[in-house]
Order: sequence, then C-alpha cells, then structure tokens
Amino acid sequence: MVKLNPFDIQGFVARGYNLPKANFLLAEILDADAGRHLVQRVAGQVTTAERWEQGKKPLSTLNIAFTWQGFVKLGLPDATLISFPVEFCQGMRLRNRILGDVGKNDPKYWDPVWQDDKVHVWLAINAINPDELAKRTAEVCRLMEETGGARLLATQSASSVYIDGKPTPKEHFGFTDGFGNPDFEGVERDTIPGQGKLTPDGKWAPLATGEFILGYPDESQELPACPVPYLLGINGTYMAYRKIHQNVATFRKYLEEKGKEYAGGKEKLAAKLAGRWRDGTPVELSPDQPDPALVKDQQRNTNFTYGNDAGGVRCPVGGHIRRMNPRDAFGFNGALVNRRRIMRRGLPYGEYTPEDQPARDEDDHGIVFMALGASLFRQFEFVQQQWVEYGNDAHLGNDKDPLVGRHDEGSNKHIVQGTADPANAPFICRNLPQFVEMRGGGYFFLPSLTALRLIGDGSVDPR
Amino acid sequence: MPNQSGNMYGLTILSPIIDDQTIRISHDSALRIYLKKLPRHEDGPFAKVSATHLCRLVVMDDVVFVGAPAKQEHLNSKYLVFSSNFYGDLDAYLADMAAKIPDVVNDIWSHCVGYPGVRDPKAFATYMKKCQIETTFFFAAVNDRTVEQTLRALQNKVEFAAFVEENQGKPAAELQAAFSTFWQRLEQLPPPRAGARELTRASVSEKASW
Repeated sequence: MVKLNPFDIQGFVARGYNLPKANFLLAEILDADAGRHLVQRVAGQVTTAERWEQGKKPLSTLNIAFTWQGFVKLGLPDATLISFPVEFCQGMRLRNRILGDVGKNDPKYWDPVWQDDKVHVWLAINAINPDELAKRTAEVCRLMEETGGARLLATQSASSVYIDGKPTPKEHFGFTDGFGNPDFEGVERDTIPGQGKLTPDGKWAPLATGEFILGYPDESQELPACPVPYLLGINGTYMAYRKIHQNVATFRKYLEEKGKEYAGGKEKLAAKLAGRWRDGTPVELSPDQPDPALVKDQQRNTNFTYGNDAGGVRCPVGGHIRRMNPRDAFGFNGALVNRRRIMRRGLPYGEYTPEDQPARDEDDHGIVFMALGASLFRQFEFVQQQWVEYGNDAHLGNDKDPLVGRHDEGSNKHIVQGTADPANAPFICRNLPQFVEMRGGGYFFLPSLTALRLIGDGSVDPR
Repeated sequence: MPNQSGNMYGLTILSPIIDDQTIRISHDSALRIYLKKLPRHEDGPFAKVSATHLCRLVVMDDVVFVGAPAKQEHLNSKYLVFSSNFYGDLDAYLADMAAKIPDVVNDIWSHCVGYPGVRDPKAFATYMKKCQIETTFFFAAVNDRTVEQTLRALQNKVEFAAFVEENQGKPAAELQAAFSTFWQRLEQLPPPRAGARELTRASVSEKASW
C-alpha cells in the first residue's frame, strides 16, 4: 500500500476543495532571481494535502503551477529542462492539431493572454466567499509586487453557479457536474464504487498512485517518466488548463428544437447527450426519468458499467460521460481505460442565465476545466484526441463528443440508440452546432512542496 | 497458416538490394528516392492491385543491437521489405501485381538481386516466393472482407446514416417511399475508389477511418 506524504503534495492535486469561488492568476516571470524569491515565499503558503479536521476547513487555499516556459524563466538547468516530456515543453498551443483545437477553436481566437508564451505561472486561489477570495488574491498580488518575481497578466475568475443564493454544482447548460474523480491508492478516503478501476470480479478498486502523482508505480507497474532530478518530479503532477466558452443560447435552442422531434422529449434528449439527466442522474441507471435520491447517494451515483448496454440503449455509446470514461464498454473488464483516466478540477465562469431567461452565446460564460495526471500525452491528450474528437474506439466513425466536440460538416451527428419502445425510439441528432469553444489554455506542472523549495533556493541539480 | 488469418493474407517479402559500390547513387538510395516519389492514396499504384487492403515498402539498411556488451552484428545485405495485407490467395495476388502495375514493380525490384522481371509471371512469382518469409502473428486492421466489400460497407454506413438523419420521424408511407428511392440510388452507386481518403456524399462527407 502506497503511503503518501500529504504535507509534500499540493492540496489541489489530492482533492477538489469544494470551495465555490476561485481566481486563477496567470502571470509572467520577469527575472529568475526575483521569480525564485516569489516561489520561495509562495511555498510557505501553499495549501497542502494535509487533512482538515472537522470544522477546520480553510477559508481560502493557494496553489501554484508552472508552464515549461516558466521553468525556463526561473533558470532551471538545461539538463532538467530537456528531461520534461515533449508535450509539456511545447505547451497546449503548439499541440493544437492533436487536440482538435482548430477551426473555431484555433489558438488564434484564444484570449490575448494565451497568444504568446508569457503565461509562466498559475496561481490558484479558491475561497469560501467573495470577501475571502478578494483578501487572499490581494495578498498574493502583493507578494508578486514585493518580490518583483512575476507580473500579473490576467485574472480568470470562476465561481460555482449560485441559485437562490446558494452555490450549486451546476454548469451553464444546466447539468449537475463534477460527479466523481478517479480513486487512487494513498488517498485517505473511502473507496467510492464506480470511481476507481474494475477488478476481474466486477468490484471497484483504487487505481495505482502513479497514474496521478509522479514517483509511484502506475497501472503498468512502472514509475511514470519523471524529470531530473527525481526530487523535482516526485509528488508533483501535470495539469491541462482549458478555458472553455459555452454557447448557452445555441445549446438551449438546439435542445428545444430537437426535443420536439425526439420521442423522449427535451430533458431526455439532454440526458442522451450527456449520459446524465440534467439533475445528475446517470441515464445508464435510470433511463426513463431523473431520480433525485440516486443523485444524492454516493454509493450509487457513479456506480455503474456499460457491459450490459453494449447497444447504448440506456446511455448512448457516444454520450459525453461514456466517452470520457468508457468503464467496461471496450471489454477486458475495463482494463483498456485504466491508463486513460484524468482527474478533473473545474469551475464555471461568467454569469449564469436561469432557464426561464433569454441566454446569449456571446456573453462571457463557460467553464475553467483542468485535467490532472502523470502524463498529459497518455491521459488528457489521448482522451481529447481519441474520445472527444473521434469515435473509432466506440465504433462511431468520425462522430465526436456531442457536447464538447468541435463540430463541422461531416462529423456533426450524435446517435441516440434506442429500442422498439416508442418512448425510447432511436434518434439521430443531426447538424450539431458547436456548443463549446476554446478560449485558451496551457500545460502546467504542479510541483511538490520539496520541489517548490528546490526551485525557490535555486538548488535544482540534475547531476 | 502463419501467413493467413481467415481470408486475409499477411505477406512479408525481403528482397536483397544489389550492392554495387561503383555507382554514384547506390541502389538502396535510388530505391528510397523512387519510393518517396510514388503517388499515394487513390493514385498510389497498389490501389490498382485491388485485393490490397494495406501495404508498405521499406528499405532496411541493417539491424542494430542496442545493449551491453555492444555487438557488431550486421545483415548480409540491405533489404527491400514489402509487406501487404490483402484478401485471398498469394498466387492470384502476385499475378495481379505483374498484370496491373508491371512498370512500378520493375522500377522497384530491378534494384534487387536476382529479380527476373514481370514479363514471365511465373518466374516473378517464383522469385517473390523465394524472398518470402513467414509472417507468423499478424494483425489485419480490417474485417475478413474484400476491399470492395469494405468500401461498400463504409459507403452504405455513411449513406444510411445520412438517410436516417434526413428522414427520421416521417409518416410510415412517406418513409417507405423515401427508403425505396434511397435503396435504388444506393444500389446504382459505384463503389468508392480504393485508397480514397474520404467517402463523400452530396450533403455528408465522412473521412474514412484508416
């Protein structure tokens, strides 16, 4: 059993904080010495994976990550810099053809802050409320100014969607989001059925730690590739950060129009796109209607497989959550997906438009999506390229993820498999518009506390 | 049969490349230059050899042992590697190569030792079989069907998906009439061209997934 040192791992890596407000500060490192000084100071304040006692949850958290260009600016030795994986060195923008970030998602349309290689450091502040967020953000900005280590380029604010004054797990399309993350060994929590890997006897077990944190064996019983020195990599991980704009009006209009053609109606169609009803009920478990009790039940709400639904008559083969985590859909007791899992963090940004009010595509709203894992190439990029932007593994030809895929003529349909039951008739969603558009993103490394101190000291030594 | 899986044949041919150190451009270099310039996809020569699902031509200089202690082992010759996944029988396939693309075959294999040309198809077949090695395990990323059947099936899928998209929800009689028209049209369509990168339709285009 892997024993992790929670004081050495950034808290953001180990868990979602479940705090409703966030600011992601994107900054440029101007000077190596001053930059290292900033890292040193931040290291003393970073939120670790330390367990919070009952009632001791912090009011705000702070985490830090770097792009490869950031490591260059901080003066890491060349021998260290070339030991990082090529996709991390290149960064998300140069990987655009692999990721399907072309057409409307082309980097030339991204926010200005992503137009060059100036985003060197990502400082994430999560907080319980706007006041705490503002307070902690001001502190971090002061730290940047005092040390002269970094210049703030942009602040990406994000927030849970508030309904009736309360934070909810909803996103702008109205789906309850954020169910489950892969269970892995070494995290102090109970294994939740449906969140780890399937065992040959059909039970769920945590995945190997090395799928998500460097320095530990992964699902192939190897240590993940690690930069040199090893100490720089261990207890750290990679992150793909994506700002994804949501065309809310287009989504609602499409649901409204197609919901009239589809025998199951609008809400069922939404469920057939996402794989969950908008309240979060897995359509695989409850194909005919949402089930609020099921949504609330942690033992059940991620506890399902697709093996008995090969035809996709409950959850369509191309439904969003089935694509993102096919579980046992490809056979072999799910073994084919264990090395393609991603840990998700994310929060919506922008104003939420209630269902009964007219929404506009062009308003600045969407989701800040972050995927963490030991290999951007093997996990995030594979999922994005093969399962979001392509359908071959699921025998769906060139069909893409109906919700988050980049749709153009020739691959803009989603098949809703069905049965002879008139209420569950098959349906083809045609002329899918692009519901989401990329607004920017980058590849980051979230170092351990030890590694942050090494960087801060200027004592990263690859020899 | 180690070279066959169902109706699929996994052919592996290693032809030794002529070693002539008196010429400025060696045979292996000339072959690399020639192969690089061959047209691809539907214009590629093997699109005319209609049983071919997938084939590759590779110039293999040597094999290098990486490890300790270092070993200086070398092949006796440079080789042209020809591997092909095709449907059916080897003799028929070689005969078809000789008949359909004799010039290309000559251009390629004339750089190889002992090549007799294609004018005598029997001599050509004997030569190729002499160069053949057992493929043993191989994976053919196609179903156990002919190229034309496969292309037809892909075409049918594209056309039928488009038909459903356009006609779902119509009253039964109207749907039946539309399907009848669709079916007649589908039967009259020529099969897609072998090697084509895209299967296209008036309103729908789908990239082939190979």
